[in-house]
Amino acid sequence: MKKILAMMLALLMIAVAFAGCNGTKPGKEESAVQKIIKEAEGMTLEELAKKAIEESNGKNFYGVGNSSRGKSALPKFIDYLKTIEPSYELNFEWQQPKNNKIFDQLSADSLKDVGTFAVTLIQDGNQIESKMVKTGILDTFIPLDWAKANNTTADAYKGYLPLQTLNKVFEYNCTGSKTYTNCWDYVYEGEHGLFMDVDSEIVGKNFLYMLTNEKYAGYLKEAYEKLPEAKKAYFTPVIEAMKTDAKDLGLGENGCYGLAWIKLWVESYMAVEDDGPICNTLVQQSATDQFGLLVYSKLRSVEESDTVSKNNIKVAAYQDGYEGIGGYGYCHYMFVPDNSPLPWTACAFIAYITCTVDGFSAWGKDMGGYSSNPTVAAGTEEKYGHSKGGYNEAGENEFDCKNDRGYDWWVNNGKLVIEDPEYCASVAFTVGSWIEMLSKYKPTAE
Amino acid sequence: MQNRAMKRRVRLNKLKTFFSKPQNIILLVLGIVLTVTTVAPIIAIAKDTITVHPGTIDANISGKTEGFTLANYVDLFTSRTAKTNLWTPLVNTLLLSTIACVVSIVFGGVFAFLITRTNLKFRKYLSSIFIFPYIMPQWTLAVVWKNLFYSNAVTHSANGLLASVFGITMPAWWCQGLFPSAMVLGLHYAPFAYILIGGIFRNMDANLEEAATILDTPRWKTMFRITLPMIKPAILSTVLLVFGSAMGSYPVPHYLNFETLSTKYISMNSSRTGEASILAIIMMVFGVAILLANQLTLKSRKSYTTVTGKSGQISRFNLGKSGKYVIGAILIVITFFTSIYPIISFAFETFLPNPGDYSFLYTGNIQNLTTKWWITSENVTENGMYGQQGMLYNKTIWHAYGGTLLVSVACALTAGIIGTLIGYAVSKNRRSKWANYVNNMAFLPYLMPSIAVGVAFFILFSNKYVNLFNTYWLLIIVGTVKYIPFASRASLNSMLQLSGEIEEAAIIQDIPWFKRMFRIIVPIQKSSIISGFMLPFMTCLRELSLFMLLCTQGYILSTTLDYFDEMGLYAFSSGINLILIVTILIFNTVVNKVTGASLDEGIGG
Repeated sequence: MKKILAMMLALLMIAVAFAGCNGTKPGKEESAVQKIIKEAEGMTLEELAKKAIEESNGKNFYGVGNSSRGKSALPKFIDYLKTIEPSYELNFEWQQPKNNKIFDQLSADSLKDVGTFAVTLIQDGNQIESKMVKTGILDTFIPLDWAKANNTTADAYKGYLPLQTLNKVFEYNCTGSKTYTNCWDYVYEGEHGLFMDVDSEIVGKNFLYMLTNEKYAGYLKEAYEKLPEAKKAYFTPVIEAMKTDAKDLGLGENGCYGLAWIKLWVESYMAVEDDGPICNTLVQQSATDQFGLLVYSKLRSVEESDTVSKNNIKVAAYQDGYEGIGGYGYCHYMFVPDNSPLPWTACAFIAYITCTVDGFSAWGKDMGGYSSNPTVAAGTEEKYGHSKGGYNEAGENEFDCKNDRGYDWWVNNGKLVIEDPEYCASVAFTVGSWIEMLSKYKPTAE
Repeated sequence: MQNRAMKRRVRLNKLKTFFSKPQNIILLVLGIVLTVTTVAPIIAIAKDTITVHPGTIDANISGKTEGFTLANYVDLFTSRTAKTNLWTPLVNTLLLSTIACVVSIVFGGVFAFLITRTNLKFRKYLSSIFIFPYIMPQWTLAVVWKNLFYSNAVTHSANGLLASVFGITMPAWWCQGLFPSAMVLGLHYAPFAYILIGGIFRNMDANLEEAATILDTPRWKTMFRITLPMIKPAILSTVLLVFGSAMGSYPVPHYLNFETLSTKYISMNSSRTGEASILAIIMMVFGVAILLANQLTLKSRKSYTTVTGKSGQISRFNLGKSGKYVIGAILIVITFFTSIYPIISFAFETFLPNPGDYSFLYTGNIQNLTTKWWITSENVTENGMYGQQGMLYNKTIWHAYGGTLLVSVACALTAGIIGTLIGYAVSKNRRSKWANYVNNMAFLPYLMPSIAVGVAFFILFSNKYVNLFNTYWLLIIVGTVKYIPFASRASLNSMLQLSGEIEEAAIIQDIPWFKRMFRIIVPIQKSSIISGFMLPFMTCLRELSLFMLLCTQGYILSTTLDYFDEMGLYAFSSGINLILIVTILIFNTVVNKVTGASLDEGIGG
């Protein structure tokens, strides 16, 4: 066995030595895909479509994304291209890796001269920034029509291209008498919200990072000040204790409110593997007085039965007199891999889904997802009427929780915490390590 | 000159003699192949521990964007997060693996003894039903556990079946953490112990035990001094298999909220990629340690021969007139909960309007059941279908099913043949260092966490020269490498029992090797060898961690099942579970009819 171990070590050292000889990536020279993107940013959707037909007719198109809807969007895209060239054919496959593996998959694929994936739809601004963009693995394409709709130009716009913003909102089971009227209620003594573990879904961690941002920590402070004295007395020592940590972590004046909320949340939330099961739990009659932070659109999939109903839950921020943050918003971004085998087709696809109501309909037909293109957002609301999604055919408000009040309401009134990739990346190893030190809640510990 | 020619002739003769033995050729060829397929992933993981990963902690600490650093080791072992990220998960993992081993060996071993060595009633039924927990993906048992025992009062969720129907609330330690994780894994791997230990019990000549009885040795002494030592290789193999598997199990502790090295591996992989790879290395080190311990123990004994050329017979312990019925009935009740209840639960789940919605049970109202998960033939998004067609019409599911069959059959055949050959060759050259090396090389992939092996092969085969990503070739290669240990262990155990005189008799009569294998060795150890084919087949059918990086969700059934589980579409995942169970039962029956032996009947029948 000694010999085996010795041999393994020797092989390891050889491998490392060889690996050290690997060439580094070429400097800042524009890649072929970047050149195509530059050209594509000056083209209309129809012009792009023609380029796509020329490039990909009869070929295979691989997409990878955090949303499964890419699979439903592609046939619509193909139908659109067929209106220009009826003989157009495209075989496609859409993959949806889980457990953060999309980053490994894209990183490994980037090693090839010509990659497998033509396009990606990806979430988690923090990792996108540090692992995908700074490393040159993904390129941003800004469609002409999208830029116009947002009163900007491809050159002037500096961020990534968001397809949509999704929201996770606080919802509670209302079969009992308990109500949640302030965002600090979620972290009060004895509360255990249902939430996807921050280590399973990293965007959840970004939500916590964002709470240390001065703007959202300010929201928390405002809400704290509106608490009754008895509850204030419970939170004040925690907030005071966080002041030193906030200073050490280089946070702003209100940072201690963010840290206090995060500490109490991490030490109390009940980890669930996905938003689907959280929703399925909360709508049950027996889940009295439980609450969770979950993707709003999950409500669409609940079927009424004797013990399950959408009327068993309430969206906290929709209730009169609610104070503080109502949830968290994060984006699905569109990118073209720097070694995309079909860059023109990828650009045309991106333009189609971000600039047309039909293209966005794979996501837009359901509540809780808001197009980043104002024209498409308005068209989607007009077509699907999500603001009255809870009304039945007789025009009665049957399920109030399904009446989606829209992006603007959520940001302004619902005080949605919006992910900022740059901020998240900047605190990932300061606030991030601090969060890792906290002890997560386990029922056994009680 | 003459001297040199002589020496050359001697050397040539030695070579000729060496290659005249088939076991030497097998060991040489497989030794080289396995070194490559096993060492390459290890190197990839080891290299990963010192590589700088942009956007992760090592890049942050070292200030580099590429190259190599020791920052991962320093941070993991010495930083303030060491307790959270390393020591606590490590202790938890060891506890989980140890308890899972004990549960599986005690449960599986006692069961094997009762089935093979006593006059217990209902043996055939019990033997067939016992392997069911292993057929099912392990996390589905965890889901069943949750559905049974969770409650609003303790786990802050909706009430599970026990709480809602009987008002019974189980304590927190029963619902989440070490206990349920160890129980679920122990039950899941108990069929390992049953198959391996039962195989030996079945073949064991009772002469030794009878001699002890004649000498008036107490029963407990016979058990501890004769029976147990004879099944020691099988117990050690079970420990090896269960410990390694439990250590690398991700879904069970994940679903039951228990932090282990494998759950940490996944959670740290995004921001502490290199440190996660160190955890993988630590898991491998423990695996190698058990392998070494196993080897030392086996070396201390001269022989485990239980099958000889002499006539042998099995004597069955008499459980008494009522005892054989009472114990049989108790086992039927136990196996009902471990094997039948999950299946009923899966079937029931496919008729619920919402996942976990047991309205029908409370109200008896048939309106609270639905067939939509089976027969919806159009693409609808309402009513929780998420744009999926019902299972009978769902092309994704049936395409994945075809893929799974292809990969499983190919892996089972390849791993089974290679493993059997290794077992044979190693048993023939037991004292040879090279044979031990080949045996260890074949076993090493099993000790590596599946997810880490998947990552390593993904990196190995996704480059500009070879691109096997999302091909069945890649799944078959990885599956074969990972599952050879099943076959090699099963084969080695049985071959070690086989006395050399059996083959020697045939050699004296100048019977060729192929004929010796197919006419003598394989027929004698048929049940163990078939286990070596069936275990990779069954494992491959519902393997997830190994394949999740290598293909898309509609490519094979386990990734599809996991996808539906993740979406909360338990009706689909439960339906897929049923499909898997039925498939394995069909294969088991076909193998039984064709060869006359099968995984369970070979032992229990």
